[in-house]
Amino acid sequence: MKIAVCLKQVPTREWQPRLLDDRRWIREQDVSYEMNEPDAYALEEGLRLREKHGGEVVVCSAGPTRVQQMLREALARGADRALHVEDDSLASTDAFVSAGALAAAMSDERFDLVLTGLQSDDQGHGQTGVVLAERLGIPHSTIVIEIQVQAGTDGSAGAGPGGAGPVAAIRVKRELEGGWFQWVAMPLPALVTIQSGINQLRYATLRGIMAAKKKEIRKISRPPGLEASQQILSLALPTRTKHTEMLSGSPPEVARELVRRLREEAKAL
Amino acid sequence: MILVLAEQRDGHLNRASWEAVAAAQRLAAGGPLSVAVLGGSVESACVELASAGVGDVLEVVDPALEAYTPDGYVAALAQVIEAAQPSAIVLAHTYQARDFAPALAARLNRPLVTDVVGITDTTEGRTFLRQMFHGKLVADVRPTGNGPFLITVQIGAFRADQMRTNSTQSKIVRTPVVIDRSAIRQTPEAPFREAKQAVDLGQATRIVAVGRGIKSLEQLPVAQALADALEAELAASRPICDNGWLPMERQVGSSGQTVAPKLYVALGISGAIQHLVGMKGSRTIVAINKDADAPIFEVADYGIVGDLFEITPALLEELKK
Amino acid sequence: MQHETLDVDVLIVGGGPAGLSAAIRMAQLQQQAGGEPLSVVVLEKAREAGAHMLSGAVLDTSALNELIPDFRERGAPLAAEVSRDDVYFLPQTSQLRFPLIPPPLRNHGNYIVSLQALVRWLSEQAENQGTDILTGFAGQHVLTDGDRVVGVRTGDRGVGRGGEPKSSFDAGVEIRAKVTIFCDGVRGNLTKELIRRFALGRGREPEQFAIGLKELWDVPRGGVTSGTVIHSMGYPLRHEEFGGGFVYGLPGGQISVGFVVGLDYKDPLFDPHMAFNRFKQHPLVAALLTGGQMLRYGAKALPEGGWNTVPRPYLDGALIAGDAGGFLNSMRLKGIHLAMRTGMLAAESAFEAIRAEDTSARGLAAYQEKIDRSAVRAELYPVRNVHQAFGFGLATGLAFAGFSMVTEGRWAPDVRGHAGHRRMQTLRRYYGGRPTSHIASNATAIDRQRTFDKLTNVHYSGTAHEEDQPVHLLVHSEVCSSICGPEYGHPCTRFCPADVYEIVEEAGRSRLQINASNCVHCKTCDIMDPYGVITWVPPEGGGGPQYGGM
Repeated sequence: MKIAVCLKQVPTREWQPRLLDDRRWIREQDVSYEMNEPDAYALEEGLRLREKHGGEVVVCSAGPTRVQQMLREALARGADRALHVEDDSLASTDAFVSAGALAAAMSDERFDLVLTGLQSDDQGHGQTGVVLAERLGIPHSTIVIEIQVQAGTDGSAGAGPGGAGPVAAIRVKRELEGGWFQWVAMPLPALVTIQSGINQLRYATLRGIMAAKKKEIRKISRPPGLEASQQILSLALPTRTKHTEMLSGSPPEVARELVRRLREEAKAL
Repeated sequence: MILVLAEQRDGHLNRASWEAVAAAQRLAAGGPLSVAVLGGSVESACVELASAGVGDVLEVVDPALEAYTPDGYVAALAQVIEAAQPSAIVLAHTYQARDFAPALAARLNRPLVTDVVGITDTTEGRTFLRQMFHGKLVADVRPTGNGPFLITVQIGAFRADQMRTNSTQSKIVRTPVVIDRSAIRQTPEAPFREAKQAVDLGQATRIVAVGRGIKSLEQLPVAQALADALEAELAASRPICDNGWLPMERQVGSSGQTVAPKLYVALGISGAIQHLVGMKGSRTIVAINKDADAPIFEVADYGIVGDLFEITPALLEELKK
Repeated sequence: MQHETLDVDVLIVGGGPAGLSAAIRMAQLQQQAGGEPLSVVVLEKAREAGAHMLSGAVLDTSALNELIPDFRERGAPLAAEVSRDDVYFLPQTSQLRFPLIPPPLRNHGNYIVSLQALVRWLSEQAENQGTDILTGFAGQHVLTDGDRVVGVRTGDRGVGRGGEPKSSFDAGVEIRAKVTIFCDGVRGNLTKELIRRFALGRGREPEQFAIGLKELWDVPRGGVTSGTVIHSMGYPLRHEEFGGGFVYGLPGGQISVGFVVGLDYKDPLFDPHMAFNRFKQHPLVAALLTGGQMLRYGAKALPEGGWNTVPRPYLDGALIAGDAGGFLNSMRLKGIHLAMRTGMLAAESAFEAIRAEDTSARGLAAYQEKIDRSAVRAELYPVRNVHQAFGFGLATGLAFAGFSMVTEGRWAPDVRGHAGHRRMQTLRRYYGGRPTSHIASNATAIDRQRTFDKLTNVHYSGTAHEEDQPVHLLVHSEVCSSICGPEYGHPCTRFCPADVYEIVEEAGRSRLQINASNCVHCKTCDIMDPYGVITWVPPEGGGGPQYGGM
């Protein structure tokens, strides 16, 4: 199976927000970056599928030069090679541009399966994976917690010649609201967006780190003609517009008052 | 005209659809609305929508739409939108919307702003507020160009009870679409419920959280009782989980889950910043703590300085009524 | 258990200024000499180089200049050139400015830097030369063959809280080297093991330490212009306590503010973190921070003992450089350039020893000679007794320091030192009868705007650890529930700057609770515990603070 995993590099969880003077983006100085968490789970899933079904895992990312460090880490965890659409402008762009950049880099590779995280911890649009599927012309399913690969009629797990129908398919378990789930089958090639926490992430071992140094990171420049679908006009810290209502009285009195307010004012009950 | 995409499952309308209508009305500022419903047979959902009188109900039925698939819905909606020519399309940010809305946007090549929490009017038009960076920042976003755009609205951001209804029933318009079944690449099976193996605080609409104020493991039932009465999930601040009184999955905070339920009741939680960053996005926060200086009161909507072992039983009594 | 092994020529433990300078120097020597390339690997426990680096800091660029002469062109992140030096004595709420800056505190020609940014830059330079920097790998055990050091084993990863391997389990790796250069920082866990095992401290004075606490502030209406260096003594410390504060002006309206306290105070109820809070409350400092916001916090120990406490830094198969060896000038408050220089000298010694095929103690003894002939001794020897003299009180210390300065260290008798934790007195002795509460004797009001409680501060250190792992602080906790309370009042709850240690009263007994994931890796507990029952070992690699800009 030829598997692609799309990765995004985002500020670490511990990052304290600091904005540029024009407030259109964050101050990148002093920021530490890490692999987007859902993408890390997508990578782990991709590596497990390769272990089970053979093939290769190619990690792809669209972003500035610093993204290389994340790609090296992915290679150290076991990915076979990497594609990097390298451009500073890709650090702060929207999902349409990211997906477009990735599609341009990936389209001639003919992947069987493309995995992405369900959304990124920075802008969090939750669109890139699905838009990428549309651009690549492949079916998709989202917020998936399990993937089963179904072998084709000839026992292989790869895209067959056109016209004869898919040689292999996958069956994915989607997460729905309120504890509901659903299995969906799709032919390959397909794209799946992965939910966080579905497996246990492996470490980049010492051997893996040494081996990664020899693995290929192919660089591609940002394709022309990609236009953003939206602009960030300004960023701000969430302001607290609410006022704390302190309730006082005996326990039965405050209880009554609280329940009343929750019912009538806050409509929380 | 602003088009709302309502959601139904097994013919029943998803309540979040009303929130989408409320948001669309805000956007329309008096202008006309239409509400589309897709499926195999959606009569009762259409009747319910029509009775609110908020605008034409487009009944989009086809056997191919009986079971939800992104391919089927995108194909159908592309046609509906082509015919209706709305200036904007609004839907609730549900799991289903997350599955097909970006594909629809990409197919139409129109901007999609997801998980919107507010709409701002400016001289240059409408902009949309959405959270970024794990809730640490709020972004003011403008879709590019002057053409139609799509938005999904965060559940709870626009209140269904703020929707303006009309006593005059709206029309239900049968809207035919042509769908090539063979072009639908997903084959879904029936959704099913699974016995909860893991706690998912992120999905809970109400949470009762305990902190050190609960004093001992033996007292936990006090909090559990309140959680049960409120139909809430039980959660905890870090020290409680470190003690092993509740499992790690129930921890809210920087080393646990980040949650933003409709209601968050903090019992005996002081409000160390590690905890606050995990819950301050909650819609309504109630704090009960003995210490009037506890930082939790800085983020609470309602605060009670008192003994939780006296207040909680009183609350339980009150909730029974 | 089978451990994977990796064989290299030189293993450098620690990716700080000493370790990275050693790595860069090795690559340079290799390039100059040609021949069979030596394999060099650097181990760093942080997720990325620089993440665990914290310092004031004012950098003397002499070593950097020798290591990378074109450091400016290569974009070394020197935040601001020092434009102004001020030294204050703070008697309570007023301030006395020294009309003349004592020579050791003159910083003309020096730069205010973020050590984190500098180390990140150094790691890029090292990587560009082909050095492998293995981040997220913590050195756990020294590997020996008899009395010879043959390498280091890294810690296991993917171990659960109860010690059981998780599905992601990754066993530690044994890295074997001809020469291992230990640059594992102040009170480095591996260097500590070496000192103990090989009696490297014999004939030396006991090591002495201080704790440094620091915050990075954003003060838009700049209370301190960029390039200003302010040092203070006095408030809030008493004459029996050693230390002082600093405020450095950075570009972009940022301020570095911090406080250093010797870890040899007598009062068991003293709390260094509270002293830092009090320092910020002093009118001089408070005015500078007005309208600002705290961005980041951190704490780290410093080796203060000076020249006479440096252990023997060479042994069969190993060398010690940087803070791990105690190479810090406590008079000038500078150690980065000495860490870099000793790292460079260690690299040279290792290189020569390997080429000469003699990496025994005899083959590596040249390291001591190099240090003796270098700027390191020239700088540290004259002030070798200063910290020890402060053990006799502020006035004596200052007098001694002045005397040392004027005489350049000649004629100064060697002053006996002391292990700091032994100076802490019992409650009974210090207070004459036990106080009823264990509240810090120097407690002050916490407003969470300028002064902070430890837990809030820790949040701003960016500290994060894998939650499901064994506790990395090894404590013989029988004393916690028996004698420590009555004797010292549980000082760990006060000297730890990160609220790691907590005493919980349960069923009439005091139980020690360790909040390990708050740990900022400062080493204070390993140093200061009066019974000596706390051992710090590295937690799972990758965890710890995130000291961006510090």
